[in-house]
Amino acid sequence: MKVTLTVNGTEHAVEVPANTLLVDLIRVNLQLTGTHVGCDTTQCGACTVHLDGRAVKACSMLAAQAEGAHVTTIEGIGDPENLHPMQAAFREHHALQCGFCTPGMIMQAIDLIDNNDGLDSQTIREGLEGNICRCTGYHNIVRAIESVANAS
Amino acid sequence: MSEALEDTGETGIGAPVRRREDLRFITGNGNYTDDLNQPGQLYAVFCRSPYPRARIDGIDCDDALAVPGVVAVYTGQQMVDDGIGDLPCGWMVKSKDGADMLSSPHPPMAATVANYVGEPYALVVAESLQAAKQGAESVYADFTELHVVVDLATATASDEIYEGIPNNLAYTWALGDEDATRMAFAKAAHVTTMDLTNNRLIPNAIEPRACLGMFESATGDYTLYTTSQNPGLERLVLSAFVQVAPEHKLRIVAPDVGGGFGSKIFIYAEETAVIWAAAKANRPIKWVAERSESFLADAHGRDHITHAELAMDEMGRFTGLKVQTTANLGAYLSTFGSSVPTYLYGTLLAGQYKTPNIYVEVQGAYTNTAPVDAYRGAGRPEATYVVERIVEQAARELGKDPADLRRMNMIQPEEFPYETPVALVYDTGNYEASLDKALDIIDYAGFEARRAAAAEQGKRRGIGFACYIEACGLAPSKLAIELGAGVGLYESGEIRVNPTGSVSVFTGSHSHGQGHETTFAQVVSDKLGINYDDIDIIHGDTGRMDFGLGTYGSRSLAVGGSALVAAADKLIEKGKKIAAHMMQATPEQVTFEDGQFTLQDSNQSMSIQEVAFASYVPADYPEDLEPGFAEKAFYDPNNFTYPAGTHIAEVEVDIETGVVSLEDFVAVDDFGHIINPLIVHGQVHGGVAQGAGQAIMEHGIYDEYGQLQTGSMMDYTMPRADDLPDFKVDTTVTPCTHNPLGVKGCGEAGAIGSPAAIMNAITHALGIKDISMPATPEKVWRAIGGNS
Amino acid sequence: MEQSGEYRIAARREDVWSALNAPDVLGACIEGCQRVEKLDDEHFEVAVKAKVGPVSATFNAALELSDIEAPVSYTINGNAKGGAAGFAKGSANVHLDEDDGVTVLRYGVKANVGGKLAQVGSRLVDGAARKMADDFFAEFSKRLDPDSVAVATAATDTDAAEEREFEKSGGWLMWVVAFVGLAIAVILAF
Repeated sequence: MKVTLTVNGTEHAVEVPANTLLVDLIRVNLQLTGTHVGCDTTQCGACTVHLDGRAVKACSMLAAQAEGAHVTTIEGIGDPENLHPMQAAFREHHALQCGFCTPGMIMQAIDLIDNNDGLDSQTIREGLEGNICRCTGYHNIVRAIESVANAS
Repeated sequence: MSEALEDTGETGIGAPVRRREDLRFITGNGNYTDDLNQPGQLYAVFCRSPYPRARIDGIDCDDALAVPGVVAVYTGQQMVDDGIGDLPCGWMVKSKDGADMLSSPHPPMAATVANYVGEPYALVVAESLQAAKQGAESVYADFTELHVVVDLATATASDEIYEGIPNNLAYTWALGDEDATRMAFAKAAHVTTMDLTNNRLIPNAIEPRACLGMFESATGDYTLYTTSQNPGLERLVLSAFVQVAPEHKLRIVAPDVGGGFGSKIFIYAEETAVIWAAAKANRPIKWVAERSESFLADAHGRDHITHAELAMDEMGRFTGLKVQTTANLGAYLSTFGSSVPTYLYGTLLAGQYKTPNIYVEVQGAYTNTAPVDAYRGAGRPEATYVVERIVEQAARELGKDPADLRRMNMIQPEEFPYETPVALVYDTGNYEASLDKALDIIDYAGFEARRAAAAEQGKRRGIGFACYIEACGLAPSKLAIELGAGVGLYESGEIRVNPTGSVSVFTGSHSHGQGHETTFAQVVSDKLGINYDDIDIIHGDTGRMDFGLGTYGSRSLAVGGSALVAAADKLIEKGKKIAAHMMQATPEQVTFEDGQFTLQDSNQSMSIQEVAFASYVPADYPEDLEPGFAEKAFYDPNNFTYPAGTHIAEVEVDIETGVVSLEDFVAVDDFGHIINPLIVHGQVHGGVAQGAGQAIMEHGIYDEYGQLQTGSMMDYTMPRADDLPDFKVDTTVTPCTHNPLGVKGCGEAGAIGSPAAIMNAITHALGIKDISMPATPEKVWRAIGGNS
Repeated sequence: MEQSGEYRIAARREDVWSALNAPDVLGACIEGCQRVEKLDDEHFEVAVKAKVGPVSATFNAALELSDIEAPVSYTINGNAKGGAAGFAKGSANVHLDEDDGVTVLRYGVKANVGGKLAQVGSRLVDGAARKMADDFFAEFSKRLDPDSVAVATAATDTDAAEEREFEKSGGWLMWVVAFVGLAIAVILAF
């Protein structure tokens, strides 16, 4: 089937089998490999992208469900010369180590900032409940998100 | 952020430099194995045994081969028939009677008998992942179930799994003076006894294992991209032992690797089978584990049952420690599985204390479960758990403050080097300094007030300590090889100053989250006085660097970093000769500092870049010197390094629900000199989180039939952000005495001290002697009198 | 896994009994059933295919009946293999009582599962098996009496610590139901 969607501002019409997951369309068909697959069961959040402005786990929705949607992946929010404030904060606060969960974590963090007022450490921790990081113990991730929340 | 971690723009040793590798990770430009593809690649899916022990009477591949897109089905028996060898265990541990350990045969894929659930016995390769999955669903193996051994407590009394391995025992290993220890107990004024379990953990790096194997038939070259912590070792084992390909024809690349924690050290069936199959199919083959495969077939960690006794005199001074441990090895001896519960465990049982007599005996038992091997800490968390739980309990029994009892027994700074009764020589330390600092940060004096406040909220608050020591940067090679290690413990490093003055650094260490690309550049920049940004750190590709042993056991900086210092020293020596020639002096008259070669008592000097240029364009150059400006070094440490510190946990237990909340956690660690404090703090945070996971949540459980009950992230609980507090991390410094940087290892300490500290806090809160890890709400609730 | 339950079926006991022993009736009540073959009075073979998305598995079950007391009860031992999806094995019993013209069917299953089935976790398998049982009996009752549906009057899950003794009874169909439930559960989960 053909799925038409906008990814990082570019419209794509992609021919995929009907059972294709959104994350596979992003990684395999569009070759945007910043979005990762960590668990296959919606538990780890490494596949988190934005769908029409809200964070979703791309491993557990079909590509077809994104028909007509605007999808933003980690590649769409900034690049090394022009980092998104959340990307810059993750680096400044050493909020990543192996980097595998990081794209999903950043996309979730941006969602938290965009959709909440007055984020504090506890609400940030609760908001990250769907994303597992095995490296950082979350301490520095919370600091990074706090710094962006306080700046905005 | 504390002042020490503010970015000042400095890049030398000790500066909290922001990591250079982050730029690719935060922008989605990382290069992980699953991000790589080759034209014409096939996809592999493994068929795995659903039985914990079963004979394979036949495999029917006809239906699988009929699935459109399926190219081939390869079986374990075919690998054996092709002459592919067993996956070896790299450390020959001897039993206390001197006998060699008994190894079970371990073909990469099960050929005749499968010995744990999830063990692969065939792989299907197909044009698409979907076809490979369908193919794997259509392979029918004819299994005959055999009796199983699952329970560790009864494993050594169960029927044999392997012919010729009586009592399912690989070895009964012992260390220490048994008679002297017995005498100490005979004279003891008080003996504290504990029975402890160290729960099985499943590592769960967030990147699942993956590989991409290629074979070039025209040249006979093999290339294997794989999620490995030590590509050099992987190449050695796959060529010398498994004999998949000759070493010079096999290139192993471990690109960006998404976390390891030990689980990506080992040589696994999957990458072995994939590189073998790639040559058979003459097509690139890619395999990526699904998470459920990671649970089944990644090596697990810990899993000990221990009986321990601590003898004390009337003052509370420790006079003897006896430890009897049964360690679960799983169905096969994994790459380093034999050494973890022996040399990395028994040797650490002195802890920070002057206990004069120690005797430990370890039974390594086979069970029909996934192999058990190193997981963050590897043996040292288990040792620390025994020592620090029993010491805390002794304090309670003696009515002493647990900090005071520890202090009384600690090795004092002036007593180093200190030889323990369990074979190690601690080079340096100041244990009370860490303890004092930790007590101060946690506000120990204020605990009772916090406890009272919690009680008013219906919560029980407890505090617990762990004063751990660990040994990392495993060494030296000669001793380890005498003790049965199959490889050396050195590391390689090469520094090439290029003709333009930029620097390419090659290290046998591998970075999969530790930030070597930053830290090692800081070291080289500092040593050579070359701009940090002009230095590139290259690792993870056997096609580019010398043989090296990779990253495990918190060794990278202490061993790999020291190799780079040694290479830098060689470069400086050569540079002095070149500069002396050009400045018409002798090398002895030339000094080197901050990137400048200076002629003593003159205003003449040359930059290292000028010297490098002269070496590549040798117009005015010493006749007896080779051109070029690159040096390599293999560094073999002459001792372990001994990080030590104090971890203190405070917990609150909700009496209604049994939920344990980790309220506060202080870690004060002595890692010697620190190259990058930002990275060191991060390593501690991550280690503590995994230790907290072990204490409160994580448990790999097999049912009585040998089926893994915790086979997904829904069933195996790991810490999430709202399960953990902010951590309070600080350091003390006694520099390591025997490596050039004065550094120790920081990667595992967090996971080593924290489980004991947290469990001491929980048992303190509950007023009970013990509760087994993990202290789940149900267990705690029952322990405090909930209905059972 | 242990499960027990009870259904009221608006049919005479003899009719229920004969339906339980009629392969075609049973096969029709199980979605995805490819084959129910009665080898002799004590031995049956069943194949059920389940498919969701890219994953499919065929479970082949060999069933053996014993302690047959027509039309009241029997015991069954079974072993179902699903290749990569895993396996299930164990025993079950079914007992039929008459109650005012209605047949009360009580069943108890003790099974253990392996491979992916076990990894899914018993909570999922139990739920799926329960739902399959309910669906099966709804369809089964409808066939016996088009105006009625089976009513699950009681159902309990027991864990190993609280094992129940079931009276000698039989009902090999529960195996079909349980296995299909397990198969569906695993496929939905992966």
